[in-house]
Amino acid sequence: MGAAIERLLEESGARLTRASELPSLADARNPLATKIAALDRLLSGGLPRGALTEISGRRSCGRFSIGIASLAAVTSAGESAALVDLGGHLDPQSAEDAGVELERLLWVRPSKLKEAVASAEMLLAAGFPLVVVDLGLPPVRGRSMPDAAWVRLTRAARDHRAALLLLAPYRVSGVAAEAVVSAQPARAVWRGAEKSPRLLEGMGVRLTLEKDGRARSGIGDGMSLSVTGVAPFALPSPPPPGGRGDFLVPSRKGGGKLRPFDESALITAPLRIRR
Amino acid sequence: MIACLFVPLFPLAARLRSEPELKGEAVAIFEGNGNAARVVAATRTARRAGIAPGMTLPQARARMPGLVARGRDAECERAASEALLEVAESFSPRIEDAGEGVAYVDLEGHARLDVRRQTAGDSPQAVGGSGFTPVLHEAVRDLARDMIRAAEKAGLPARAGVAASKLAARVAAGLPESPTVVAEGAEASFLAPLPLEKLAPQLEIAATLDRWGLSTIGELAKLPEGEVASRLGEIGRALHMSARGLDPQPLEPWVPPPSFTEGMDLEWPLATLEPFLFLAHAALERLLARLESRALSCTRLEVTLKLDPDGHDARAIALPAPTRDAKTLLTLVRLELEARPPGAPVAGFVFAAHPDSPRRAQLSLFGPAALSPDRLATTIARLAALLGADRVGSPRSIDGHRPERYASTGYTPPPPPKLRSPARNGRGLLLVRVLRPPVALEVIVDSRESAADPRPVSIQSPPDAAPPISGSVRVASGPWSLEDGWWTEAPADRDYWDIELSDGGLYRVYRDRAGSAWFADGVYD
Repeated sequence: MGAAIERLLEESGARLTRASELPSLADARNPLATKIAALDRLLSGGLPRGALTEISGRRSCGRFSIGIASLAAVTSAGESAALVDLGGHLDPQSAEDAGVELERLLWVRPSKLKEAVASAEMLLAAGFPLVVVDLGLPPVRGRSMPDAAWVRLTRAARDHRAALLLLAPYRVSGVAAEAVVSAQPARAVWRGAEKSPRLLEGMGVRLTLEKDGRARSGIGDGMSLSVTGVAPFALPSPPPPGGRGDFLVPSRKGGGKLRPFDESALITAPLRIRR
Repeated sequence: MIACLFVPLFPLAARLRSEPELKGEAVAIFEGNGNAARVVAATRTARRAGIAPGMTLPQARARMPGLVARGRDAECERAASEALLEVAESFSPRIEDAGEGVAYVDLEGHARLDVRRQTAGDSPQAVGGSGFTPVLHEAVRDLARDMIRAAEKAGLPARAGVAASKLAARVAAGLPESPTVVAEGAEASFLAPLPLEKLAPQLEIAATLDRWGLSTIGELAKLPEGEVASRLGEIGRALHMSARGLDPQPLEPWVPPPSFTEGMDLEWPLATLEPFLFLAHAALERLLARLESRALSCTRLEVTLKLDPDGHDARAIALPAPTRDAKTLLTLVRLELEARPPGAPVAGFVFAAHPDSPRRAQLSLFGPAALSPDRLATTIARLAALLGADRVGSPRSIDGHRPERYASTGYTPPPPPKLRSPARNGRGLLLVRVLRPPVALEVIVDSRESAADPRPVSIQSPPDAAPPISGSVRVASGPWSLEDGWWTEAPADRDYWDIELSDGGLYRVYRDRAGSAWFADGVYD
């Protein structure tokens, strides 16, 4: 019987699949891919569902761009998503450029941290598969929340199997986060030098996994962000000590190719600009 | 065939519907002011203690000091009347509002009776050509029982009567054994043994009939119609027709009002919010139960407050999405009253809910999960209550050149695709956090290269700025000129720069050419 099934599977090629080989709904992680290669690699596939992921970092570290890219990934797949924007920083035009389907995005603009947490809890309970909470720039508006509030948010995310992404200027969620990633700006890349006109091209970001539910903390990765979204240059991101570095070379059609980090390229490769 | 739903002691029943905690108490409803107020209805407990209609308030109090006295409340009665009519409408589209807790329902062609009539019509028990057989009789009784149950569910103890005419149905509904069904063609024989008061004649006519020695309806019906008409006029003719079971009055269809209302007059004026919200919560729950029974949601809530000693305060709360969540509506009412207090004690209130169909969605087996429309609507309404309606919505890009421009509309996401599609790869775009409003800056500039376009060298925001920005400029790229809306009263004439500060922060700043002031309006992040 078993041999007959094996033969049937073999003859039918890819048309038949064992049920046991189908992706299991019971898989608690079933990560939600952000389509940011470096972040997805660090988080073993993407944002864990039913858990809180915190990305912290100071100004110009790229966390806002990461949050918007996550929203773009979810909404472009036809799902709804919510952004709790404490600072009211969203620019709809550039979010649309980044690939966010604005019709599927619910934009909530609280004025205090307490309201932001309450809003996020309501949105999780409403069934949004991804809720991004951006706490804006320091100082965060409103008093700090107790750890219990973040634990409660995590429970709400777990109960509704939603991915909760928290973008904060500094660590706020305490023990509640399943994964914590710190983002640090590597350096800004400017076109032109000396007396020639300067033009901002983008920046490199270094991501370090500070905490992970699978106890894989300490590893790092690099990513690049470009102002135009079509960077014809390979933006180097120096890896953290002991980590490995990759960077994305975006193509003109969108997407891009991941290249391993090459220290020599960082030093010797000239920037070739085509506009 | 007409059914009559009748709520005995309607003023009392309406009051107990609004204040269910009074059920079981000795309650009397009074009409009039002060000591001249007279009892119009009383609960069984009060009646047992000797409280009877027509008594004055002091008389009633003397008999029963612990009597709970309530005045007639027009709002309670109006809401109860609407609720009764909505119950009636759930059985037939043709109903009539006869006022004072009486509703007529046209059962002609009702599906439950039609089926029974077809099966019973062939049975040998069918008599008189009317087809009103014991089977049909039982079917009508079942239907009438369901109507009574539905009315009780709406908080109104009702009786029902079914007959071929409105008058006979009304009389049947008034009988203590409920429901009472009068067979078609048997109206006259049903009415004959009943006392004349059941026809509710005018006092003068009643006195004349009494002098004639008539006591039952049947005795009046036996008199020649022409003789009665010649002595009592047109009123006497109509009364004689009624006595014979004929009712020339057709059913006057009721047109439902555009909104659902619930409210009550308060026993004493309320000056604080919490007690008012306690009463408002119960009223909203009754209102939403009525909406739910008709598969509707509330899209706009109008609140009218009756102020003490006089005056009204009306306000409307528009909901971002239709909802049936009482907690959400109560929160909105609370926020509205906290934001704009009425300015005087509240002596009564009316909530009017404008209905709308709740959002519907077709769920997919293979595509991504869609949000539950009902839950989403409630969430949006609660968020709007918490943050303000202008802070919840779906962002939209709009035409223009100013980087800070944005628009937000109501959130109605399109249905998800039928099949799950992979997410698009990210573009790796570096985005700008827009600072709304822009942060004013003190800037030290270098004018050596160009006096017209001075290059920023160092920037510093005021101490109370949020977020604070300061540092020396490592790289500055610009200027890019922007001129927009020069024909308007608020034109934009700016020189933009991208700058990198010594701490690594990347900012978008601009110089307002009109006033030469500098601002930061974005952070690359």
